[in-house]
This record gives sequence, C-alpha cells and structure tokens, in this order.
Amino acid sequence: MPSTTFPRSGPEIGAALHAVFATAVGPGWPGRLLYGLASVPAGALGLALYVALLGSVVAVIYGVGLLLVLLVLATIRGFAGVERGLARILLGVEIPAGEQVRRQSGLVLKVRRLVASAGTWRAVGWVGARVLLGVATLAVLFFATIICVALRVTITWNVVNALPLLGLMALTVLGGLLLLDAIVRVATSVAPRLLGPGAEQQIAALQHSSRRLADRNRLARDLHDTIGHALTASLLQATAARRTLTPADDRPVQPDFARQALQHIETNTRTALAELDRVLTVLRAEEDGRDPAPFAAPSLGDLDELLEGLRDGGLPVALTADVDADGVPADVQELAYRVVQEGTTNVLRHAGTPLTVAQVLRAGGTLVVRVHNEPPTLLDSRPGPGGGRGLAGLRERAAALGGTLHAGPTPSGGFELTVTLPLDGAA
Amino acid sequence: MTLRLLLVDDDVLVRSGLRVILESEPDLTVVGDAGTGREALEVASRTDPDVVLMDVRMPDMDGIAATAELVARDPLRPRVLVLTTFEDDDYLFRSLQAGASGFALKRSDPDELVDAIRVVARGTSLVLPDLTRRLIASHAPSRARGSAALPELTGREADVLRLVAGGLSNAEIATELFLSRETVKTHVSSVLLKLGARDRTQAVIAAYESGFMTA
Repeated sequence: MPSTTFPRSGPEIGAALHAVFATAVGPGWPGRLLYGLASVPAGALGLALYVALLGSVVAVIYGVGLLLVLLVLATIRGFAGVERGLARILLGVEIPAGEQVRRQSGLVLKVRRLVASAGTWRAVGWVGARVLLGVATLAVLFFATIICVALRVTITWNVVNALPLLGLMALTVLGGLLLLDAIVRVATSVAPRLLGPGAEQQIAALQHSSRRLADRNRLARDLHDTIGHALTASLLQATAARRTLTPADDRPVQPDFARQALQHIETNTRTALAELDRVLTVLRAEEDGRDPAPFAAPSLGDLDELLEGLRDGGLPVALTADVDADGVPADVQELAYRVVQEGTTNVLRHAGTPLTVAQVLRAGGTLVVRVHNEPPTLLDSRPGPGGGRGLAGLRERAAALGGTLHAGPTPSGGFELTVTLPLDGAA
Repeated sequence: MTLRLLLVDDDVLVRSGLRVILESEPDLTVVGDAGTGREALEVASRTDPDVVLMDVRMPDMDGIAATAELVARDPLRPRVLVLTTFEDDDYLFRSLQAGASGFALKRSDPDELVDAIRVVARGTSLVLPDLTRRLIASHAPSRARGSAALPELTGREADVLRLVAGGLSNAEIATELFLSRETVKTHVSSVLLKLGARDRTQAVIAAYESGFMTA
C-alpha cells in the first residue's frame, strides 16, 4: 500500500530525500565497502582452506591424514563463525548459529557431529562461495585500476580531452563500486543460507515453540475448565446457601440445602486446589527453564496417585489397570489419565461419593479406559446425557488420536464413561 | 408481572445455586432448567420462559447453537442472557452474534444478576454497557469508517444509534438529546427496524460491523 503512493507535499519529498540520504551515507556503506574489500583476503583464506582440505583428503589416501581432515573441517566451521561475526558487524545481518558441535559432550560425539552435521558442509560451501566472491572482487579492482592507469599512461592528456578522460575515470570508479556493491549483495543473500541454521534445525525450533504454545493454551484451557469452573460453582452454592439460611417473609430456613451446598463447596475447592497445584508445578518448571513436559503430560503410572487424592477427598474409587505401560504411546497414556481424571471428578461433581471403578485394559489393538459409578449419593443430582463440559474436549482429543468416547447412564442408575483408543498410533 | 426464567448450565451445582438465588426474588420464577443446549430447546418450548439464562460451553449443543435456534424459532421471545465465567471470551462474542441480548458474569453480585435479567426482559438499555461495547468493538471485524453498509438513517436516528452503542438507556438518551422518552423509543424502534436488529445488542453489533462505529 505505501509503496504505491508518491510523495506530493513538500515535507513528504523532504522526508523521502532524507531517507535516501540516510541509506546512502548512513553507517551502512563504510561497512559494506569494508566487507567488499575483505572479500579478497577472505577469499584467499578460503582458497587456502580448500587446498588444505584437498591436501588432507589426498593424505587420507596415504593413510595418515584423517586427523588433518577433521582439523581442516573444524577450522572451516571456525571460519564460518568469524564470517557470521563479520556479517553482523559490517552488514548488520544477524545470522543465528546452527548446531553447536562444540557443545556436544564426548570426543566421539563431537567428531561424529563434525562430519555428519549439514552445517559443516554448508560451511564448506560458503568457503567455496567466498573464493568465487574474492576472485570477482579482485577482478573488479584489477580491471578498474588497469583502465584508469591505461587512460593516464597511453593517452596524451591535453586541454581538450582532459575533462572527458577524467569523466571516464570517474565512471570507471563508479562502475567498480557498483559491481562491488552487487557482490556484497550476493554475499548478503547467500550468507544466511550457508552460515545459518539448516531447514531441519529451523523446523525443530519452530516445532519446539509451537509445542510450548500448545502447552500454554492447554494450561489456560485446563485452568478455565477446572479452577474457574469449580470456583464459580462454589460461589453460587455459597450464595444460595446463605440465602436459604436467611429467613424471609414467605420463606422458611432450609438447612438441608445449606448442608449439601457446603459439601459441594468442600469437594469443589479440594479438586480445584489439586489442579492449581499441578498447574503451578508446570509453570515453575517452565520458569526454571526445565522442560515442563513430564509435568504437563501425566502417564498411566500417575493414576495411583490421582486416585489416592480422590480417596482422601471421600470418593471410594478402585483402579483396575492391566496394561504394560511401556507399549503405550505417551499421548495415549496422557489422554487415558485425563479420561480417568475427568470421569472421577465428574462423579464427585454430579453424583457425590458413590462407589466408583476406573479401568484401564488392553483389548486387541486398543486401549480401553472406563470410569463407572454406582447410583448417585447426592439428592439433587441428575444423570445428564452429556456429563461435564470436559467430556466435549475429551471427545475431540480422543477423535484426534483415532479413538471414540461413549458416556451415558447405566441401567443400574449409575453413569459410565468409556474411551477406546487405538494403540498402533493410527490417527 | 412475574418473569419466567429457564436456567441452562451443564453443572448441576450452578443450576441449583442459581435457582435458590433467583427464586428468592418476588418477581422472578424459575420455570425450568436444562443441562445441555438440546435439552434447553425442548424445555423452552414446553415452559415458554421470558428469559433464558444460557451457559456457553456445554456438551450436546453449546449455548451459541441453542441461542441461534431459539432466535430462529421466535425473534422476540424468549430473550437470552448469556452466563459466562470470563469476560474476554471469543465464545461470548459469538453468542451475542448468534442473537443473545446480553451477558452477565456468573461471579457477579446476586443483585447485579437480577438486574441484568430485568434489563434484558425490558430491552430499554444494554446489560453491562461498557463491557459489552468493549467486547463487540474488539471482536467485530473492523472495516474502514464510512464503508457503512447501513441502510439510510436519518440524522436523528444516527445520533440515537451512536448513543445506544455508547451504552445509554432510553431515559439517558432523552436527556442527552432533549427529547421525550416516547420520541426516543420511537427512534430506537425505527433504528432496530432499519437494521433488522431484534434488540439493542444486535444494533450495536451491526453498528460496529458496518464501520458506523469504530473501536
């Protein structure tokens, strides 16, 4: 949009002129000129490294130069580091370093990464490009000088031709500078590709950051669904209880409702606190720079602890788990945990403290997770067709893993939640 | 006149709490409750409520879809007041877009909640005007000012719409513009008619979406 508009008013033209002036004479151009001139020694150094690499490879054929090859490769990587610094200081181009071979622990691993890392071979490619750029720079300098010297020496200058000849020399210098600038431009566009992190590293970094984002979103959703929800329900129950204990003209005091409300508030706040504890653990882990994944993603092994907490909360719940957790993918394990968590919490929320059984078992190529409870102990409970709001989320997540979710009342008056997840990783 | 209310929330504790709180008001009566959007539609057609208190996220048809369905059935009755846990919620805006007349926070003071129900039933001003306007302004797709696809409003009607979008009630608009309440009421009705809006909230959404109002 702004690129198609032309300056019309005086101040606009002034600003445009200033912008052109700033790019032409700003701190950029001495750096660019220096960088262009540095192409010659850098190219020479690159040529030397190529000769050394070739020489050491020849030496390997004679069985002595393996260490030499590694040494040259390491030097080339070091050279690439210097080049990154050069580009940053002189051109203002920030090129992030790729894989750090130095950070690898152990000599064997260092050597292996040095040879196998794509970054090494891109650096070798950059040295080659540097040699070509150096040759081009040298050629430009050489021919510009030759032309100028030839103009001065071979032609007899007089009053008539002096001005045109000077003009010709100036043109030559200007042309040379333009060519140098073009060479620097080529270097600027090629450098990030050969000196920066490779596509695979960029993808990995991107995946890491998007995973973090997903973790954060999940955390926010969990907070919303569990703590926000529990506090809201508790607040409304408390408000209602106070009203039922306050006699009004036409309304009797209802201690039964109040007693029941207090029980709900107790259970709700207990589960909310447990959830808060979990979320804070994740956040603290993130703050310390540790990977929060092991905290954010519970596994089948954590079920015992979960149910222990619920038993403390007054829910008589038994666990039947007949699965070797090693053969179950981490995402399936986490979802299984969530199913049991949601199912049992829903029992507390909607049915009170009836006898409850959580089952995790393997059936063919699937993992079956089931939470089943006896008829409710709460007076005002009603087995809704959908259960808690978390079920919709669970259904989505189960579908994402290629599984299914069923929830509904049982013939005996209880409620049953069943999630079936494929184990072969089919999505 | 007693207002007939329908409570829709998937949490039985929220419903039972609300029922006690609202039933203690002499002019309110809870005629039914439902745990899912689908159930809400069924109970609504059976009990004919004036105002539906609607949760947004529920299994088996959420509050947005249920609101849209209720509005499609009859644009005037019942009015929908959305109940939400959090103010800044994308779902909240979508439920207003679907035709809800306003929203109230579940954590709000019982008196505020009761007030919101009465305001929604009367329709003479916005519920939580500041919050509602901010929500609509920040979520409505912004278009350039003046690209208004609004039908021709008279100068007075445009003034009234601007004040309605500012959250003023009929009485406040009357004072602001030196008009009688009856005249304001006529102008508001005419604006709603021209915008095809069933209530003030929908008119405010139309005002922002058309670029008549800008954030």
